[in-house]
Amino acid sequence: MGSSTSRREFLSTGLSAGLALPVLGAGSRMGLGLPPGEPEAKAGSPVKLEYRTLGRTGLKVTTVGMGCMITSDPSVIERAADMGINYFDTARGYSQGNNERMVAAALGARRKQVVISTKSHAPNKVELQKHLETSLRELNTDYIDIWFLHGRNSPAEIPDDQIEVQQLAKKQGKVRFTGVSTHNGQQQILPWMVQKGTFDVVLTSYNFTMDAGMDEAIATAAKAGMGVVAMKVMAGGLRRQKQGDPLYKKLTQDGALLAALKWVIHKPNIATTIPSMTDMDQLDENLKAMGNPFSAGDEKLLSAHLDAIRPLYCRMCGKCDGDCLKGLPVADVLRFLTYADGYGQFALGRERFMELSAEHTAVRCGDCAECTVKCPYGVEVQSRMARAQELFA
Amino acid sequence: MKTAGLLLAVLVAVGVARAQDALDCHFAPGWEASGPIRQYVADNLYEYKDGAADGYLINGFAQMRTIECKSGGDTLTIDVSEMTDADAAYGLLTANRDPRLPIAKIGMGGQVQAQSALFAKGKYYVEIAEVAANAEADHAATIQAFVAKIQNRLEGRESAPEALEWFPKENLASVRLVPESVLGLRLLKRGYVAKYMQGQAFVVLEATPESAAEVLKKLKERFDGATPAQIGDEAFQAKAPYLEGICVFRKGRYVAGYANLPETQQAATLAAKLATRIP
Repeated sequence: MGSSTSRREFLSTGLSAGLALPVLGAGSRMGLGLPPGEPEAKAGSPVKLEYRTLGRTGLKVTTVGMGCMITSDPSVIERAADMGINYFDTARGYSQGNNERMVAAALGARRKQVVISTKSHAPNKVELQKHLETSLRELNTDYIDIWFLHGRNSPAEIPDDQIEVQQLAKKQGKVRFTGVSTHNGQQQILPWMVQKGTFDVVLTSYNFTMDAGMDEAIATAAKAGMGVVAMKVMAGGLRRQKQGDPLYKKLTQDGALLAALKWVIHKPNIATTIPSMTDMDQLDENLKAMGNPFSAGDEKLLSAHLDAIRPLYCRMCGKCDGDCLKGLPVADVLRFLTYADGYGQFALGRERFMELSAEHTAVRCGDCAECTVKCPYGVEVQSRMARAQELFA
Repeated sequence: MKTAGLLLAVLVAVGVARAQDALDCHFAPGWEASGPIRQYVADNLYEYKDGAADGYLINGFAQMRTIECKSGGDTLTIDVSEMTDADAAYGLLTANRDPRLPIAKIGMGGQVQAQSALFAKGKYYVEIAEVAANAEADHAATIQAFVAKIQNRLEGRESAPEALEWFPKENLASVRLVPESVLGLRLLKRGYVAKYMQGQAFVVLEATPESAAEVLKKLKERFDGATPAQIGDEAFQAKAPYLEGICVFRKGRYVAGYANLPETQQAATLAAKLATRIP
């Protein structure tokens, strides 16, 4: 017994630190030191499962979770659970609630073995309470493991009365842990969440195109004991990109999407990821990210991608704010240009451009001998701005 | 060349104007716009739809125009999304439609509830959502008034895709257009799925009979123990994890069949009936 215990302790420590282990059969559950009820992949499966602890929740989650938002067939979710993935994410707003129902149908029999997170985009306290009851009903469960306030991008979007609803739900046992999901403004919102001290988990956009400031914000959250779940790990994948875009070309390279997922997983402050999956092939591909280190080859794939998009792609990091001597909002203008060049929406780009002040629309960047805006990521600011002015002004 | 470009620009402008005409807070008495019409494309849809944007993108999103209306303490938002084509709009509609609720004769089939509505007409997908001062209030009549006016101002098809008629109606629970990976299989790229009380049927349209044959061949290779069946131009049946009893056939450039039935023979019998309905 003594030796068995010490082995469990050893393995448990290893699992928390992100040690990858090959999947073994059902009989080995105790030997692996997995928490009771934790799912396993099929016996003999080549999949290696890698677990991390989700901050102060103590939940042991697979580093590859599953974003169910665009999954259309429940069989993919069922199979993911059978393969050992134990973190599944949905939201009240996905497909008007159809998504929560599908997740419930797929995971119903193994509810206690998996972690289910859902989110509410409710704009006020009353709606939020309604959403919780609806989510519980649609997910066919007595409790939600993690309940996020959905898509909040600044502290102002997280009113105290909504935090109170979350805390009350926790006391009532309807919710085990609470959090916030955020797509933008993380460098402001994460430190604020830490200071607030009431949130267990944060679900944040995070991928290889982001700057070091994101790493700092995530490290702050993780250090404070918050569990960090990453989304948009493939930088929008292929759906957000047009076929002619450099990003599209790079992400269609063999192994690029997997490399992007591995890039996130190799960051120790990330407990799990929720890539969207629509089919079995995607599932199999993403499972490879567990237990396979982020390699020099992966890095080369991704850096090659960044080199290609560098002159054109504004990350909206905000580091150039205030750098233009003429006071131009550079990131905004570059975004307007993307509407026209990237999406063929000239009218939208021009409309937004013309909303700038007359003083700003009159500026011609070609008149400056040297541009004072130096993009840290290599965007050729002066020529891109000049193109925007040529198109819109 | 210049004339063609000009014509295209005019057509685009007309399309944008139509979507814009459909956004008016005065469609119901007592409502006023609380801000300008906003427009979103794939790149910035996240700013508005946060995490739900991918649901639009996967279905073929082109752009969205939205307006917020107010009346007293009630707020109503109207989103008119322009999709790449009418099928894409139908796809998004069926992804969001509640299969438990009745379908109203609005455009290609919509739903109106106490504080929300959705429908599609032509390549437009419309969503109306109200945040009412009283969360329990029934504002279906007001929302219906908005729906009627918006519907009149949008052009395009009001009938569901023809392929849906091929699915037998008996015990039919819901139909939808799945934009990618039908049955969770990447080979089946985009198609219609009909859920029944037991099992599900599907129809996928390939570009040519040859490409359909290639898909069927690769599919068959995925299923261990698949055996040939005499349905359509070619077919196989198999028992598979997650999809249970499955039968897939090709008829011309269509790849179709039944899945999730207890027995393969049952899937084959139903698939044979489906094959006779596909032209």
